[in-house]
Parts: sequence; structure tokens; C-alpha cells
Amino acid sequence: MSLPPVAVVGAGGFGRAIAQAAARCGRDVILWSRSERSSEEARVRRTSALAEVAAAELAFVAVPSPFVASVADELAPHLDGRHYLVHVSRGLIGEELAPISRVLRERTPAHRVGALAGPLAVDALREGSPSGAIVGTRFPEVADAVREAIGSPALRIYDTDDVVGVEVASAMVGLLALTAGYAQAMEVNGTTLAVFLTRALAEAARIAPTLGADPQTLFGLAGMGDLMAVLAGGDRPEVRLGRALAGGAPLAAAGAEAGAHIEGVSIAQRLAEHARRMDLEAPITQAIVGVLEGRSAQEALDALMAREVGSE
Amino acid sequence: MRSPFKISRRLSERPLRLPHLSPYVPAPDDPAIFWFNSERDDIVREVAERVAEAHCGSREAMELALNDAAYHEIRRLEKQRDAEATERLPYWRGLSRRIARMTDEEKREALHELTCRLARDVAGNFDPRVYNMAKHLVPRLLAGVMRPSSLPAELLPRRGVDGSVLDRLLRVEGDTRTLSALEKTGTLVYVPTHSSNLDSIVLGRALEVAGLSPVIYGAGKNLFTNPIVSFFMHNLGAYRVDRRVRARLYKEVLKVYSQVMIERGYHSLFFPGGTRSRSNLIETHLKLGLAGSAVNAFSNNRVHGVLRNVYFVPTTINYELVLEAETLIEDWLRAAGQARYIIDDDEFSRVERWVAFFRKVVNLEAPCVIRFGGPIDCFGNPVDDSGRSTGPAGLPVDPGTYVLRRGKPVVDRTRDAAYTRDLGEVLVRRYREETVIMATAIVAHVLYRRLVARTPGMDLFARLRLRGEVALGRDEVVREVGTLRDRLVALQAEGRVRVYEDLVEADPEAIVDRALTVWSGYHTKVAAKDLGPEITAEDPTLLLYYQNRLVPFALELCDESDLPAAREIAAIGRKL
Repeated sequence: MSLPPVAVVGAGGFGRAIAQAAARCGRDVILWSRSERSSEEARVRRTSALAEVAAAELAFVAVPSPFVASVADELAPHLDGRHYLVHVSRGLIGEELAPISRVLRERTPAHRVGALAGPLAVDALREGSPSGAIVGTRFPEVADAVREAIGSPALRIYDTDDVVGVEVASAMVGLLALTAGYAQAMEVNGTTLAVFLTRALAEAARIAPTLGADPQTLFGLAGMGDLMAVLAGGDRPEVRLGRALAGGAPLAAAGAEAGAHIEGVSIAQRLAEHARRMDLEAPITQAIVGVLEGRSAQEALDALMAREVGSE
Repeated sequence: MRSPFKISRRLSERPLRLPHLSPYVPAPDDPAIFWFNSERDDIVREVAERVAEAHCGSREAMELALNDAAYHEIRRLEKQRDAEATERLPYWRGLSRRIARMTDEEKREALHELTCRLARDVAGNFDPRVYNMAKHLVPRLLAGVMRPSSLPAELLPRRGVDGSVLDRLLRVEGDTRTLSALEKTGTLVYVPTHSSNLDSIVLGRALEVAGLSPVIYGAGKNLFTNPIVSFFMHNLGAYRVDRRVRARLYKEVLKVYSQVMIERGYHSLFFPGGTRSRSNLIETHLKLGLAGSAVNAFSNNRVHGVLRNVYFVPTTINYELVLEAETLIEDWLRAAGQARYIIDDDEFSRVERWVAFFRKVVNLEAPCVIRFGGPIDCFGNPVDDSGRSTGPAGLPVDPGTYVLRRGKPVVDRTRDAAYTRDLGEVLVRRYREETVIMATAIVAHVLYRRLVARTPGMDLFARLRLRGEVALGRDEVVREVGTLRDRLVALQAEGRVRVYEDLVEADPEAIVDRALTVWSGYHTKVAAKDLGPEITAEDPTLLLYYQNRLVPFALELCDESDLPAAREIAAIGRKL
């Protein structure tokens, strides 16, 4: 039996890389973007008609988080319960930091949803170099479908049923990658950065349960694994943004320089506010917000280092 | 001669049935449950076969199932040391010794025999005559308890008047017309919140008042120990659930029984909270085993080409005064409370508390609101009055597509378990939206929040010992009650909660008076005392119980100045 085509909604860097990976696995791909262009890839057909996504069973949603809701609304009339939706965004939506999987489930009839995350870079997807990722979904058939679509001996795809954990971990790593870029530009030494990021991950693990996530997930591929990839020097837009900000560029210009929509900036403020309302200790998140709002990074770091030390 | 204990046990295991002089032939428009007795044997056989066959795939699987059942039953009976133990232990010990020597065929036979016995024990009975009797008798008896002088008159046959006192207390809300339409084309599964042992009775009455069909439901075997209750329970379709039995096979029989009944179109009821909410918090941790059986029933039917839909009805049961409030909250607070799953010495088991409760409730007309929420399908999609599932933006969606894999309907237990978890989240949200806030919850929240504000960071148990030590100006309480009510009404406008309709425009002073009056005289402790210019938080534990209904909204109901106290209150559900 021939396999149904795979759809990719969003033709940014990551969306195109997923389309290439699926095509390399022998699948026909429908790649949607607002503007119709012809595809240069074999097996990849570009379209601007969302109705065509309905022909697929599995659709990757690769649009930045601010646009997920509107794209989901447009997609909804063309979907039903047979479709699986897997997003790749690092965002959390609105003041309540809603996971994108929930937005997809609530705004479309497709309930078999998931999130793809981990140390999965555009280059590795394009080139098929050895890599790994994790798909968070409660539905084993969704994880199987993702493996069938883009998995290969070179791309190991693990799964977990903690969807929200994967999404929170991914969002946190986005924010920390930005911070790591900033710290690298400031020439903060490796030891300081290691302490900072490890404590930041512990802070994230405190916040995670209040968002419905299992804190353990942060220490797997979606969190720790992805963060290690950042530190190992992967060319991440978040890191580029952090460097640009450290160089004194205004946010808009730094964003343009990074060349992608960066979720971390908007998440920091909302996370800090969430922590405040929930009475959670989140000094690192608050420090990041301070720096993004113009406070001196050195002062923020000094303030963090001056805090009382306790048990881990 | 048989001992009274043996007779009582026999009655609880094989409850009395009325003799049938001529077979009852249901009318075409009778509810599905009226056909139950003609299908009963077939249902028991199907349940037993499905459960047994699920374990007959390999020798190891059969051995494991038999050993698990024998191990748990021997452990239970050895602890019980009663007549049942004397009777049944030899069988289980013998089986346990034989399992290793049995041939595969003997194991298969033993499994079938065992599941058949378990299914027979679980299956209920439905006698339309008992149903008609109960329909007329129960409200009148309850009315008689409430007002003994009226008992003779209540018991006389009357035309056009039915259980008037009970019905004054019961308010049924929700779109019952849609439910009435849906029960003709699909299977309704009522999933109410659970506060009191009275819930089954008031819900049964609410269904009848709303003109809806009777339902099947699981009742704890402890309720069958009273021969009279047992007679009614058994003959009204209740199936028996023995919480003491831990054998995996037994749990599977219960789930498959529920599944088969739903597959065959019997409207069902179960409490996803599993047990009464000890804390009075709106349920958030649901036991979804039986809800899962309904999802399984839907997918199994689709695979076999049966297009009958399953509709869940999220329902809230809201009391202004809760019969067992004191015992429940004490049980919640006790460290050992978690393990004390079956309470058999609470107010429900004490007749004098029933009488006191009903008299109080009737004299004050303290209401109980049963609110039927809008129905949803197995996948959490709202359902309209024609039974059509609607997705976001009101677009129709075929529920059958959720069980398709590569275009074909398939049974997949893991997938259905995931749908059931999602459904559980929808139910939790719907419970909040459909909860009806009563005066006692509002006043308790205001008093308790003030108590927390005056004792910041204090350990919960230390705080609960502050009996009568915190007094508030009456004017202050009235003002805060008014503000709180207004905020709740605003939340109601957003569809996030319901406010009891009599409170929406009530004078805040009247709301305060109402709560204080309802509390005084029934509970053994006074929740709050009216000292004229001041009101004291007399019993923080009872206040905690009643205010817990508002915990999910605590952060939104406070001013900035009350935020620290509201945070502590909001954390209640998370910490305990």
C-alpha cells in the first residue's frame, strides 16, 4: 500500500528542511506557504492552497507561534479526526503560556497532535547527517507517522507522552540559547556559563509543573539535549540574536540579523510574570527580562552571583 | 438454621427479585434499560468471553491471570476472616495449587468459569415494576422524612402531584430537551461530579423530573448489605462494584461490562471522581477507567459497522449544604485520609443525621442544583441536538474519523487511552464551567481568605486550629461578598462558571444571612457566628470545605491587596 503524502505547513527554513528530509525518505510532500512558488526539490510540491493539506495524514506545522492560531483557523475546515498535526515551534501562547499543541487541538478538529523538538538543526535535516529528535505525543501512531516520514538510521526519533513537557523544554531552550549567545558575545567564561545554564534549567524545572509539564522531560533530549547542541556551537538563530543584542543592536535590528522569528524574547516577560503570580522563585528568568529591557548584563550577572547559595 | 449474617450476605450477593407471573414485554418507546433482563444472560456471556479470551493468547498469559486472581483473593479473604472467607478460601487455595499442573485446556476452562462467575456477580437486574414503585415511593418517603406529619398524606396515591417537597429542593438546569433527543439516537453517558452519597438518588430523581431515561450505574457492594437498599439497587439496573477485590480480572470484567452495556445502547452513569470529593474542590484528578470503556465501546462499534454514537454529559451536582461535609473534610485532612477509601461511618450511614439534614434543608429550602452540561462526543467535541459533533467554529466533524488508521476504523487501546486522557481534561474544564456557586461557598471564601490574610504563611493545620479567633466587621464581609459575587457574575458572562440564579441580583447582606442561617443548626460545629456588628470564623475547617469550590478562581476573585492570601488559597489544590 502506498503511503499518503506528508504535508508541511510553513516554508521557512525549518519547514523546508523537514520537507527535504521527508522527500529523502521517499515520501511525496505538500509544502504550503502563503506565496506560491515552484519547488526545486524532487517529490516536494509547493502550494498556497491549505485545502491540499487534507490529502496528507501527517502534517508538520512549521509557522512561528504568533501565526499558529490563525493558520490553525484556516486549516480547520479542511481537517477531521483522521489527521495528525505535529508542530515544531518553540513558542508558548498568550499570558497563560498555552502550549501550541493545545491551540492546534482546540482550533482544529484534529486531536492527534504532537510536538517535535530536541537537538534537530536545519543543517542536519537537509544533509541527513546523524542527529536525533523527540516527538511529544499521547498517540503512538503519531510518533510512528513522524518516524515513517522523516526518521532514518541517521535521524533517531524518540517519543514521550509528555507533550507539554517537550513544548516547555523547547521554549526554555530557545530562551537560554538567546542568553548563551549574549554571554558568548560578552566573553563570559565557560564555567560561569555552565553554572548559569544549569541553574536556569533547574529554574525551568520548577516552573514546568505549573504549566502541566513533567520536569524530568527538561533533562532529556527536548531540554538538556537541545541545550548541549546550542553550546556545542550549532548555528542557531537564537544564539545569533543574543550576540547581536550583546553588541548593542536594537531588538528589531538584531531580530533581522538573526534571520528568523525568535520566540524567546516574547516568552521571557510572560514567564517572569507567570512565576510572579504563581509565587515561584525565578531569579534567572527575571534577570534575562531585565537585560532584554536594557539593564546591564554585567549587573544582572553580579546580582545573580550575590544571591544566597542553598542546596541544589 | 441459617444465621442472620449468612442470610444478609446471601441477600447482598443474590438480592431478591419479584416473581414473574408473566414475562414483561417492553413497549417500543420504553427506554433501552427495560429490555435489559431479556439480554442479561447474553451480556454476562459476552463479557466473560471477552475478558477470558483476552488472556488466552498464551500459556503464560493464562497462568498470570489465574495466579493474579488467586493471589489477590486469598490475601483479601485471609484478612476478611468472615463467612465469605470460610466459604471461598478452599476454592482459591485449591486453584492456586493446581494452576501449575493444569493443561492449557484446563486453564482456559478455569478462566472462562472464573470470568463467568465474576460477570454474573457484577451484572444487575432491571424490573420495570420496581422502577415504577421506586419512582413514586422514593420522593414521598424522603418527603416524609423531611416532614413526618406529612408521611400518611405523602404515601397516599395522588394525581398530578409527585414528590413535591423533594422537587422544591431540586433544581434541574441545562438543555434537557437536547438530551431527550439524543437518547433516542445514541448512548448517553452521564459523568457527574460527586459530593455526597445522596448524589445517585438526587440524580435519579433529576433524570425522571427531566423526562430522561433511567441509567445503569455501578454501586459499591457495601450499599448492597442493607437488604432493602440492595433490593432497589439490584432491581433498578445497578451493577455491583466490590472495591475490596483487587484481582486484575475483576477490574477487567467491570470495564468490559460497562463497555458492552454502552455498545448495546444502555445509557450509563459513573462518577469520574471515583469517590466523593473529600475536600469539596471541583474534581481535577479523574479516574478514567469507565470513561475509557465508553471510548472503547464507540471504536468497537465503529469497527463492526455500528454507527450509534456515544455522548458524554458533564453534570455537576451542587449543594448549598452538604450532608457529609464534616466527615469528608476531616478525612481529607487526616494524613491517613488518602487510604481510607471506603467510609462507612459517615453521616450517610446515620439515620438521625439524614433526618436532621433533610429537615434543615426543607425548612430553609436549601437547594441542590443538578446542572446537565452540553453533551460532548468521546473526543471532547460539542454535540448539537441532532447528534452531530461540531469542531471549532461550529463545523461538523464525523466522530468516526478519530478511530481511522489509513482510512479504516481500527480498535487501538493505546490510542483510545490517549483520547480518554484528553477527554478527562475536557471534563475537568467543563466541571469548572458548569459548577453552580452557592451562597455558602461565597461567604466561606470571603471569611477564609480574611483568615489567611491575617495569618500569612501559616501552616494549614495551625490555621485550622484558630477557632473563633478571627473576627471581621459585618460591613466588611457584606462588602466583600458583594464584590466577589459581582466578579463571579462577570466570570459567568464569560462562560467560566455558574452562579446560583437567586444570588445574581441578591442583596449581599441577604447572601451573608443566608449562608449563616444554612450553616447553623445542622453541622455539629458552627462554621461562622453572627455577633451582630462582627462575624467570627468559628470553624475554619468547615469554611475551608465550603470555600474550596472557589479555589480555581481564587486569583481572579481578589484585589491586588489580597493577592498573597489568594495565592495561598490557589495552592490548596496543588499542595494537598
